[in-house]
Amino acid sequence: MLNRCLRLAAVVMALGSALAAYGQEATEIYIPIGQSPGLSGKSSLIGNLESVDAGKRTVTVSGPSGAQTVAFTERTLIWLDRSLQKQPNRSGAMADLQQGRKVEIKLRKGEPKPVAEWIKVQVPGAER
Amino acid sequence: MSKRPGRIRRSRNVSTLAVSCTLAGTLSALPACTVPPPSPIDPVSRGKEIFFNQTFNGNGRTCGTCHPARNNFTIDPAFIAALPPTDPLFVAEFNPDLKKNFENPKLMRQFGLILENLDGFDDLENKFVMRGVPHVLAQRTSVNSNQGPRTGWSGDGAPGDGSLRSFATGAVIQHFTKTLNRVPGVDFRLPTDVELDALEAFMLSLGRQQDLVLPLPLKGIVSKRGQEIFLDNRLGKCNLCHVNAGATANFGGGNIGNANFNTGVANLPDQPANLAGERNPPDDGFGRPGDGTFNTPPLVEAADSGPFFHNNAIETIEGAVAFYDGEAFNNSPAGRALAAADPNKVGIELDGTQIVAIAAFLRVINALENVRQSIELLEAGGAKGFADRKDARELLERAVSETQDSIKVLDGAGLHPEAVAHLQKARKLADKAARSFFRRGALAGQAIDEQRKARAQLTEAR
Repeated sequence: MLNRCLRLAAVVMALGSALAAYGQEATEIYIPIGQSPGLSGKSSLIGNLESVDAGKRTVTVSGPSGAQTVAFTERTLIWLDRSLQKQPNRSGAMADLQQGRKVEIKLRKGEPKPVAEWIKVQVPGAER
Repeated sequence: MSKRPGRIRRSRNVSTLAVSCTLAGTLSALPACTVPPPSPIDPVSRGKEIFFNQTFNGNGRTCGTCHPARNNFTIDPAFIAALPPTDPLFVAEFNPDLKKNFENPKLMRQFGLILENLDGFDDLENKFVMRGVPHVLAQRTSVNSNQGPRTGWSGDGAPGDGSLRSFATGAVIQHFTKTLNRVPGVDFRLPTDVELDALEAFMLSLGRQQDLVLPLPLKGIVSKRGQEIFLDNRLGKCNLCHVNAGATANFGGGNIGNANFNTGVANLPDQPANLAGERNPPDDGFGRPGDGTFNTPPLVEAADSGPFFHNNAIETIEGAVAFYDGEAFNNSPAGRALAAADPNKVGIELDGTQIVAIAAFLRVINALENVRQSIELLEAGGAKGFADRKDARELLERAVSETQDSIKVLDGAGLHPEAVAHLQKARKLADKAARSFFRRGALAGQAIDEQRKARAQLTEAR
């Protein structure tokens, strides 16, 4: 009986419940850098974009605890934080990862090296 | 200039209180009237205030707009039909900025469905799903999983760290905005950390604080049999994913907390929302893009909080149980997994009497929870002092509402007519208590007695 239950557990878990329970990303796009609840200031990386290596698909961010290099993939979401302009935030692209801009990066869980799940890029106040 | 009116108001309040106390002091039947010392507001009370009154500078909605206390913290077509046309729930009908792509008023009014942009906001015309409003009762026992918190219908209802605390931030952005630009500081304001703490504390305080321990010593023949089938891992198999009729799963290797499954609900034929002829894109559940899975809701509170499933596809609890006997479930990944583990390679196969028996069991445990909550509310309402009559009335009116629910879930299936008779008496007494000036405590006490008599008809347990 126990074996049967365990077999069942394995099958059902594989089908559904062995998923990482990360938060819904849909509304995340509208949250300005540094204000993501339970995340900003705790487990996300906030700093200025020091460099971008398009070939290696990495960004280096300098924050309060020094510089950190983070990989990004085709699954990494890039968002433009336009809250300083009082404009709606938008989806961005790699070209928006410009040196000197303030960014917030959420790292994907369970990766051996730091990989970005999403990157918010702050658009300066005067820029549209 | 600004201070003077305040002084006058305070003075008038003190006078009113003094008169009230004098009056109370002359009437021995009244609870003691004392001036309570000023105390810091506890997070639950603060959270309640925010939940029901805070609009976050948005379109007028509050958390309570979709999660009203008087309707089990959810909404359904009957409740919606009784709301005035100016209710903020209908903001898409009177705010021109929200007329398109914010809600579908027809599906909201007919089926209680709310529009959600779970897969992003870049194509509002085409990328949305229509979902029911889950109640927020028993969150303390329902949200946690081994992989982290699971909120909303697919376990991914919150931004940030995905917690219940962060849920409100996502809800404000999705549902409270003045325009579809969704600019914080313009279309709404984001909740502060203090507000999120308070909202979480309030939500965790609602409903059951612990799971049942089944089996219960039920008295009803049909509900007792329903409980047996529910717990039978070879027949009903319900307890695997709804341990103790809650929202956690255990397949024999220990409780894994709340879990997501693809049960094929999305593949049900003739879904009401589809029959309405409105655009209703497929809902892909957890993640972006979704994997077709949805998380399990607690069942104790189910019978009086329908319609059921994420898409409000089924109106009755009997229909919801029958879903698991149908092709949509048995052809789903979860149904096939159950069949693969079954010695006879059967997913879930039940006959009509068995479906009704399980539903009867769910109705009875729902009624028992209603009784528990009613007694709690009656005790709290009856014990309130003279100066707290507004709070007392609110508590007692909620007791009336809970009692009405227990009557409805039992009467709806012809279960326990003797218990229903006691509950009807309890409802009348609670209603009188809510309106009574002098006999509130005594009437609440009598209502509690009737609730206990009703409970004694349902179970051997005290």
